[in-house]
Amino acid sequence: MKLPRFSRKTLCIPYAVFLIFFVIIPMLVILVYAFTDRSMHFSFGNFVKFFSDPTKLSTIAYSIVIALITTAACLLIAYPVAYILARSKMKKKYVVLMLFVLPMWINFVLRVNAIRELFNWIGLLGETNYFNTVFGMVYDFLPFMILPLYTTLMKIDPALYEASADLGGNGFTAFTRVTLPLSLPGVMSGVTMVFLPSMTNYVVSDMLGNSMVTIIGKFIYEYFGTDWHMGSMVALILLIVVFVSTWLTGGFSSEENVRGANL
Amino acid sequence: MKKRVLSILTAALLLLPTLAALSGCGGKNAEIVLKVYSWEEYIDDGGEGSYQNDIEGLDKEDAHYIIDDFETWYEETYGVSIHVDYATFGTNEDMYNEIVLGNEYDLLCPSDYMIMKLAAEDLIVPYDESFFDESDPNNYYVRNVSPYIKNIFESGTVSITKDGQPEQHSWSEYAAGYMWGTTGFVYNPDYVDIADLDELGWKAFTSDKYTNKITAKDNVRDTYFAALGVTYQDELLALAENKEESYNQTLTEIFNRTAPEYTDVVGNTLLSMKDNIYGFETDTGKQDMVSGKIWLNYAWSGDAVYALDEAEEKNDLMLEYYVPQAGSNLWFDGWVLTKGIEERGTKQAAEAFVNFMSMPESAKRNSYYIGYTSVIAGEENEMLEFLRDDLEYGEEEGEPEDFYDLSWFFGTDAHVYADEEQRTRRQLYAQFPPQDVIERCAVMNYFNADTSERINELWTHVKAEDLDAWAIAVLCVAAAVIVLFVLYLKFGNKIDFFRKKPKKGYELVDQKPVRYESRNA
Repeated sequence: MKLPRFSRKTLCIPYAVFLIFFVIIPMLVILVYAFTDRSMHFSFGNFVKFFSDPTKLSTIAYSIVIALITTAACLLIAYPVAYILARSKMKKKYVVLMLFVLPMWINFVLRVNAIRELFNWIGLLGETNYFNTVFGMVYDFLPFMILPLYTTLMKIDPALYEASADLGGNGFTAFTRVTLPLSLPGVMSGVTMVFLPSMTNYVVSDMLGNSMVTIIGKFIYEYFGTDWHMGSMVALILLIVVFVSTWLTGGFSSEENVRGANL
Repeated sequence: MKKRVLSILTAALLLLPTLAALSGCGGKNAEIVLKVYSWEEYIDDGGEGSYQNDIEGLDKEDAHYIIDDFETWYEETYGVSIHVDYATFGTNEDMYNEIVLGNEYDLLCPSDYMIMKLAAEDLIVPYDESFFDESDPNNYYVRNVSPYIKNIFESGTVSITKDGQPEQHSWSEYAAGYMWGTTGFVYNPDYVDIADLDELGWKAFTSDKYTNKITAKDNVRDTYFAALGVTYQDELLALAENKEESYNQTLTEIFNRTAPEYTDVVGNTLLSMKDNIYGFETDTGKQDMVSGKIWLNYAWSGDAVYALDEAEEKNDLMLEYYVPQAGSNLWFDGWVLTKGIEERGTKQAAEAFVNFMSMPESAKRNSYYIGYTSVIAGEENEMLEFLRDDLEYGEEEGEPEDFYDLSWFFGTDAHVYADEEQRTRRQLYAQFPPQDVIERCAVMNYFNADTSERINELWTHVKAEDLDAWAIAVLCVAAAVIVLFVLYLKFGNKIDFFRKKPKKGYELVDQKPVRYESRNA
């Protein structure tokens, strides 16, 4: 019996099959749908429609703004937490970290529902739809910011702080010249993980914004009910936005640090 | 060699789940497998609060899933074993997509407009003539269906193009009814005075009396319908004032205004509705009504019954239901047979399924469990007893002023005696509306492809917030600046337009000209 030559590479086959069926083919399908009309003829119609419709451009703009605010808020909250936890000599700091990450283990819909009730109780529900949406997203995505930051900050060699002090740097200088630059990969990783979902997570905007806030994810969902071609075009454009922003924030860089910071 | 075998095995092992998923799962060892595709939570699954549980006093464990009962009944009646693959969908559009993608189901349960769309697109086939034979004792559907529903199904038409020729077909050829109802407002009488609401009608959506206290549906068809009501309320009321023979026909035309000259006007109505309402919802409306956050919730009658029941049982709150004087939506869901069912040999089984679900006993069970109104009246008006005894909405005998006529639905003389609340604004009114409410309700037709696209564009325009042109321009410029700035940070050191060529004997090292010798030195 002569088997064809197998090597460790053979083990890649299942993954390759998986990637072909669940990543590459779906992408191609989206591409095909995006550039065809209802009778499946090649057409730039959807592309032109998208960029000539102020509603769609506004929605993209709103989504980006909401995502930016969410990301900034997450970063502002998460950085100090991660920094304190990483530098502290507290014995049980894992417990504190766990407390921040714990909500992630509770069903997402349940959490959003709980916030909805909370807002209802305070009286903000239905009054401040945009604020509610951003709040919900910050609450939901905070762990995704804390974890990579914490990991990178933990990995900074304490000797570097000593060196910075030896060279006459005060605490502030140590932070700006040592901590901050070295934690940038973590920041980038966290930003990517928060920015992208907050452009599309319409469950939060529907539940907390009473469906009065429309983000790009909701658009895609609604179009896929009736017009797959336009829906695919919106999805494709979102993909491009995501691709560009990931590339700009260095998400594709292969530096060791970045890899270490990813979850 | 061993290692090689191992790696093949591992590879095969890793592939297994994919293969298993691809091959799908067959039925049990039954001779017929019937694939049914219906709404979520739209059938008696024998869970807590089922008919058998509550009314027949069976323990929770003993209450049956109605599908199991069908399988047993089918085998007993026709001597052939059957297995039902029962799958569910959340929206008509989801179901439509599945069908178009080529998923083979035998029996579907879409709503009115979707039935028309499926028929027009040649995706469903008519029932067999034998299905309508009233002399066959097993034809429970034709024997038990309400004459009122029967009439609606027979008079409603859909245009089907066959061999290039448009033909008019009645809905009854293609669909057998399952559940039906109206749309209206669930309101909280603690805050909403019914006299006010009755005067405002559809305009409650734009009235400052209910600013931020009323919800619309987060789907284009229902909210568009409501917006038609708001826009043309005066016309509709004038029409109701001097009721003519063609009243319902004219009303139906108004509630089907989708031509561009109408959509522009309705679009503006939708925008002003959006400014006034609390939000668009799909299923949060009920809980917001109970919590008192909103006072008015635009709802389907079945959901309304559910909300009324829940609020009463759990919060001791008496919500009420109201259908605007100007008219409202009449909707129904029905069973349809998909194309190719003859080739698959499941047509008879599918028809038997519909018949089983049309037995008064099954209708009671389903209706009791899900809160919607069945199209079934019963040969002996069995559903009347269901109303009187099981749901306890009324009595057979009572004071003359409590008389509530339901003959329009049952065909023969049928009535209950119920108190004023039930007759005019509570569950009975929602589940079995009086005839005058029915007369002012209209079915909304399906939108053809172009209309659908136009109305969906309108809808996204309403739902999304439009920025001014200058704001978009500013944002575009800002985005461009950010992109360029980041690009500069990334590649700036590699691009230098003013870079001079290094002199002979020099080369660039780290952007600085360095003499060869010094480098080699």
